[in-house]
Amino acid sequence: MKIGICSFAHVHAIYYAMELLKRPGIEIVATDPDEQWYGPGEVRGRALAEQMGVTYVDSYDELFSWGPDAVIVTAENTQHRRITELAAAAGAHVLCEKPLATTEADAQAMIAACEAAGVVLMTAYPVQFAPDFVNLRSFVQRGGLGRVLSITGTNNGKIPVDRAWFTNPELAGGGSLVDHTVHCADLIDSLLDGAQAESVRAVTNQILHADKPQVAAETGGLVSVVYPGNLTAVIDCSWSLPDVAPNWGGLTLELVGTKGVMTIEPFAHHVGGYTAAGKAHFGYGFNCDAAMIDEFFAAINEGRAARPDGHAGLRSLRVVLAGQQSIAAGGVRVSV
Amino acid sequence: MSHPQLRVGIVGAGGITQAHVPGWQSIGAEVAVWSKGGADRLAAQYGLREAQSFEELVASVDLIDICTPTATHLDYANAALKAGVPVISEKPVSLDPDAARETGRLAAERGLGLYPAHVVRYFPEYVAAKRAIDAGDIGRPAVMRFQRIGECPAWAPWYGDLKQSGGIIVDQMIHDIDAARWFAGEVVEVYATRVADVERHIVTAQVVLTHESGTISYLNGVWGAKGLTFRTVFSVAGDAGLLTFDSRDAASVHLDTGSAATSESYLPDPGLGESPYTLELIDFLGAIRGEHDARVTWDDGIRAAEIALAANESVVAGAPVRLSPALRSTGVAR
Repeated sequence: MKIGICSFAHVHAIYYAMELLKRPGIEIVATDPDEQWYGPGEVRGRALAEQMGVTYVDSYDELFSWGPDAVIVTAENTQHRRITELAAAAGAHVLCEKPLATTEADAQAMIAACEAAGVVLMTAYPVQFAPDFVNLRSFVQRGGLGRVLSITGTNNGKIPVDRAWFTNPELAGGGSLVDHTVHCADLIDSLLDGAQAESVRAVTNQILHADKPQVAAETGGLVSVVYPGNLTAVIDCSWSLPDVAPNWGGLTLELVGTKGVMTIEPFAHHVGGYTAAGKAHFGYGFNCDAAMIDEFFAAINEGRAARPDGHAGLRSLRVVLAGQQSIAAGGVRVSV
Repeated sequence: MSHPQLRVGIVGAGGITQAHVPGWQSIGAEVAVWSKGGADRLAAQYGLREAQSFEELVASVDLIDICTPTATHLDYANAALKAGVPVISEKPVSLDPDAARETGRLAAERGLGLYPAHVVRYFPEYVAAKRAIDAGDIGRPAVMRFQRIGECPAWAPWYGDLKQSGGIIVDQMIHDIDAARWFAGEVVEVYATRVADVERHIVTAQVVLTHESGTISYLNGVWGAKGLTFRTVFSVAGDAGLLTFDSRDAASVHLDTGSAATSESYLPDPGLGESPYTLELIDFLGAIRGEHDARVTWDDGIRAAEIALAANESVVAGAPVRLSPALRSTGVAR
């Protein structure tokens, strides 16, 4: 199987490539041609491909003329559509990094292009595959919590300074609201079997990392969402883990139901302690990326939609877009 | 400074008196009680004197400690103040902030102490966080979270009645509203949602506050399933650090007897040293005696109630509610 890696903009490209390299029968070719967006000192392009031991080509044209069966799109958020449309035109299945896109129109176009080409479009939401979440979903769906009334989601991490474009709204579509709301929104989407959020109200600020001149977007945010049946959720999407922390961050989801409260922390597993650098954090969690790639391949082999697909990616994106509208309108509640 | 034996009059005989009476007794006070119901039981339990009327209680004590349902706080406070007796009142001060302001002005005119029992300011974990914030250890607060989760207070049905208690936001979450103001300053906007299972008296509220400083806060209050373990959580993310606390992880004693533990009370286990309730009462007593300012003032209590009521308004409107700037002080003593 021939897999193309489209851009090293998102650092997840490295993890996905490492995961693919473990598997037999997979050929990988990568390209990362948009050098104008490389940040100062970032190791990308051919240099990074050589470090990983991956074949590199200089353009998307070359990559697609190689005839990949599937591609992984890990470009800057605003570029997902352009590359996905190239992939669909070349008949390649697409695993696209989250958020699926940065506008409704882009996401719709990606879904339409992949459907017309008969290729799989999967949105890269690996946390769905975490055993904690699988257990939670199953417990909730068999009535273990009774009726779920409210949800608190937190997705807090360090500010992604290893790639400059993350904090440039022109390329990322926004700041932490875009980067970190969608994971929790997607988990809730899965719990509710794809029920679309009804309304969103968001508030953000830029107090965290205000000392970093390259940060041109919100760094803190609270997103209040109402779902059908008046289930309410609040997502804390802030880049609020300090730079000195020994780990990247984490995600939590807490459900309040009529029978009880259930909390998951899928990234909590670690051995702690201290090293010369200070506090230690040696994680040993489940490999969500591997499970996600398994599902991508299974969808391709079985000729079915992947879970989560492009539509799920669009539904969680809409929570972000409505949140941005809410902020632009001064914090009002916006219908999705 | 030495004082003659302190005489305290408790009004009410409900749940919170189980924290206040031992607090007063632990500092050697003589405690009398008057209540519309249950005073005899409370008196017998703690060896208290039972007053025959509210007037008799007020006439025979140095201060009044109001532990009644919310709707009656101000009537008792006004009557005590008019009789020249300082007052400590349970939170929320009232569902009518204007009337609470009148009471504040009455206390100021008479030169009498009047304090709201926002006990969270005396819980050691909140005190430690406040100290760290004030010391600049985490820089400027940006995003804060507060959660307060317990079983629904089915033993006192008035809590569930919005008209009587103001509901979960005004009665329970007000603790965290006060803490959020204490940590990050005045609140200027509030957005809230609330979802209830009316039949089971279960309710969860989610409130987002915007502070004048630009800090944003998320508050979640839950009156949940019967038997839920009481739990409080908070985090404060600043531009130079992060504070986190979860009562679930805070225990320093673990006991395993092989049988499931059951939740016995909605009152948090103070766990360490002096009870926060006792610390609160001692602080108010010192303020009443003019020895120091109290950690929380009647004006703070009024503002917390205003924010909570604005959150209730937001729930109904489905829109954020802007708060008018905090009104000038009633002049009540600190």
